[in-house]
Amino acid sequence: MPGGGRCPDCGSAELVEDAHYSQSQLVCSDCGCVVTEGVLTTTFSDEVNLREVAYSRSTGENEQVSRSQQRGLRRVRDLCRVLQLPSTFEDTAVAYYQKAYQHPGIRAARVQKKEVLVGCCVLITCRQHNWPLTMGTICTLLYADLDMFSGTYMQIVKLLGLDVPSLCLADLVKTYCSSFKLFQASPSMPAKFMEDKEKMLSRTLQLVELADETWLVTGRHPLPVITAAAFLAWQSLQPSARLTCSLARFCKLANVDLPYPASSRLQELLAVLLRMAEQLAWLQVLKLDKRSVVKHISDLLQHRHTLIRKAFREGPSGVEAPAEELWGRGQGQEEVGNGSSDLPKGKRPASPALLLPPCMLKPPKRVCPTPPASTVTGDEDISDSEIEQYLRTPQEVRDFQRAQAAKRAATSSPNPP
Amino acid sequence: MDQNNSLPPYAQGLASPQGAMTPGIPIFSPMMPYGTGLTPQPIQNTNSLSILEEQQRQQQQQQQQQQQQQQQAAAQAPQGASGQTPQLFHSQTLTTTAPLPGTTPLYPSPMTPMTPITPATPASESSGIVPQLQNIVSTVNLGCKLDLKTIALRARNAEYNPKRFAAVIMRIREPRTTALIFSSGKMVCTGAKSEEQSRLAARKYARVVQKLGFPAKFLDFKIQNMVGSCDVKFPIRLEGLVLTHQQFSSYEPELFPGLIYRMIKPRIVLLIFVSGKVVLTGAKVRAEIYEAFENIYPILKGFRKTT
Repeated sequence: MPGGGRCPDCGSAELVEDAHYSQSQLVCSDCGCVVTEGVLTTTFSDEVNLREVAYSRSTGENEQVSRSQQRGLRRVRDLCRVLQLPSTFEDTAVAYYQKAYQHPGIRAARVQKKEVLVGCCVLITCRQHNWPLTMGTICTLLYADLDMFSGTYMQIVKLLGLDVPSLCLADLVKTYCSSFKLFQASPSMPAKFMEDKEKMLSRTLQLVELADETWLVTGRHPLPVITAAAFLAWQSLQPSARLTCSLARFCKLANVDLPYPASSRLQELLAVLLRMAEQLAWLQVLKLDKRSVVKHISDLLQHRHTLIRKAFREGPSGVEAPAEELWGRGQGQEEVGNGSSDLPKGKRPASPALLLPPCMLKPPKRVCPTPPASTVTGDEDISDSEIEQYLRTPQEVRDFQRAQAAKRAATSSPNPP
Repeated sequence: MDQNNSLPPYAQGLASPQGAMTPGIPIFSPMMPYGTGLTPQPIQNTNSLSILEEQQRQQQQQQQQQQQQQQQAAAQAPQGASGQTPQLFHSQTLTTTAPLPGTTPLYPSPMTPMTPITPATPASESSGIVPQLQNIVSTVNLGCKLDLKTIALRARNAEYNPKRFAAVIMRIREPRTTALIFSSGKMVCTGAKSEEQSRLAARKYARVVQKLGFPAKFLDFKIQNMVGSCDVKFPIRLEGLVLTHQQFSSYEPELFPGLIYRMIKPRIVLLIFVSGKVVLTGAKVRAEIYEAFENIYPILKGFRKTT
C-alpha cells in the first residue's frame, strides 16, 4: 500500500498489507522483505476485536497441498506406472484423488483408507477408459483386503457422483489369457502343453460368450469363469495329450492363481456343453460324458447359436418344477416334433431344458413357510404372567451373582503379578 | 383445506345429474390408505387443471373404488398383507377420453377398457405379486435413565457385555424380536414382521423394564426402517439393467452378486438378483415398499426375454 513507506532492503515503494493468518504484516512486493509486522500474541480483548481464525477453519488447508495428500498423489502415479497404464490415465487418476481429498470425510480418514483410495481412483480411471483391471489385482498390489476396498470404492463413487461403466468381459479375457505362461516352451513345461496364443484366445472368448448366454456369468465374479473357459479351450485344442491334466495343474503350468469357484464354473460349463451335444446328431450316438465332450468342443462352438436355441427354452413363466424337466428327458418327447424322424427310436434328442441361472435350477435349500396372516393390532393387553416369564426369581439372581463372582475369581487367578 | 365440502367448487356451476358425482365422496378416499406423493391432491390445489381433468380424475377414483370393492368381494387376501391389495399409482396420471362437462354419465362407465392403458382389472397392469415384509426396525423412548447392570442381572432374556457394546440386548419370544436398550432410556426394536407386531413387542419390552422397577413410559414410538422381499419368478439380465438405468443402478459382480437400485421416488433401495428375487429396504411406511415394487416390476419385465 503506497503512503510513504520504502523497503529497507531494495528501496521499492511497493509495500503491501498482507496478513499472515492472524498476524498483520507490511511486506515488500518486490523482494518479499517483511517491513513491519503486527503483534503475534494478543490479549483476550484484542482477540475479540481481531477475530482470529484457527487454521482448520481457514482456507489455508485448501490452498496448500498437505503432506499426506502429496504422498497419496505420489502413490497414484506409482501405481499407474507399475500397471503400465498410458500417461493420460495418470492425470485423470490424480485429478480424482484431489477431488476426493476435498471432502472432509476423506481428509480425516485413516491412512489405510487413503491408501485404498489410491487404488479406487486408479480403478475408476481404468474402468472409464475400458481398461480391464480387476479389484483383485489392485488389492493384491496394495496389500489391502477386499472388504475395505469395496467400502471405500462404493463411498467414493457415491461421493463424487461418478458414472463407472462395467468391466468389459472381452477385454478382460484378452488381458488375462495373455498373462498365461503357455505360449512359449520352457524347461518346466512339456512341448505338448504349449499352445498358440491366438487360437486359445479366440476359443476362450467363444466359451465365455457361451457362458454369458447361458446365465453362468451374471451375478458371478468374472475371473473364475474365464479361468474355466481358458482351461477348456486349452484342453480342446489338443485333447489327446491334455485330457489328463487337471484344472489345478493347468493353473500351475500357466503360472496363474486358481480362483476357488473356478472348478464349479467348470462343471457348469461342461453341463451346458453336454446339453448342447445332445442336440447334435452325430454326437448323440457317442453318449458323451464330462471328459469326452471336451474333444468335440470345436464342433459345439461352431454351431453354438443353433444348439443353444434347440437345447434350451425359456420357461413360460420362469421356474416350473425344473426337476421334472431334467427327469422328463426320456419321456414326453412331444416338443421334439417331426423333424427328428430320421433318428432311430429311443435316441431322440432330449426335450429342451430351461435356460435359467444355476441358482434357479437347484432345489431350494429350505422351504420358507409363509407366515400366517397376523391379526395383531399392537394395542392388545399384555398379561403379567407373560412378562414375568422374562424376569429372574430372587433365587436365580443370587445364583447368577454367585456364578459371576466365581468366574471373576477364576479368571483373575491364572495371572499372578 | 376442507375436503368435506359437499360439492367441489368447480362443479357448483355445472348441471351435474344426481348420482354421478356423489357429493359425499371425499377426495382422500378411505379405500386408499397408502398416501404418498402420488395420491391425488385436494381440489383446492388444482388451479392449473382444467375442469375436464378434474372430472376424469373423479371418475377414475370411482372406478378404482368399484374395483377395490370387487376385489375384496372376490376374496383371497394376499399372503401376509393386511388384506388390501395396493392401489395403482400409475393409473392416476393416465387420462382417457374425457367426457364433456355437463354431460357426465348417470353411472360411471363399465369396466371395459377402451385403451390398453386403462386399468380394467389391477392384475393386468400390476404384477399381482405382493412384497412380504421381513423386518421392521423401530425406536421408542422409555423416558427415564436405566441401569443396565440391574436389567442384565434381573432379566432372564438379557445379555450385556459393556466391553463389546454399550447396550443390553433383550429378546422376547412372541412376537419374536430383539431389542437394544440403552442407558439413556432409548430402545431399538428389530425383527418384527409387521408394524403392529413391532409396536406390541416394543410395549412388551417397556413392560419388562417397568417390572424391573424403572418408571418406563412409551414415548415417540417410530418405525425407522422396513424391509420387504419378493420373487418375480423369472431370471433378470443384470448387465442389461445396469446399462439402461445407469444413474440409479450399481452392479459390481466382483463385490456383490446383486444389483443395487436406488429408486428416487419413493426413496427405496432395491437389491435385485439374477434369480428374480428382489429385496426392498429403506421404507418408513408399507406403501413405499409396494409402490417401489410396482415401479420396478415393468422395468424388470423388460429384461425378461433377451437373446
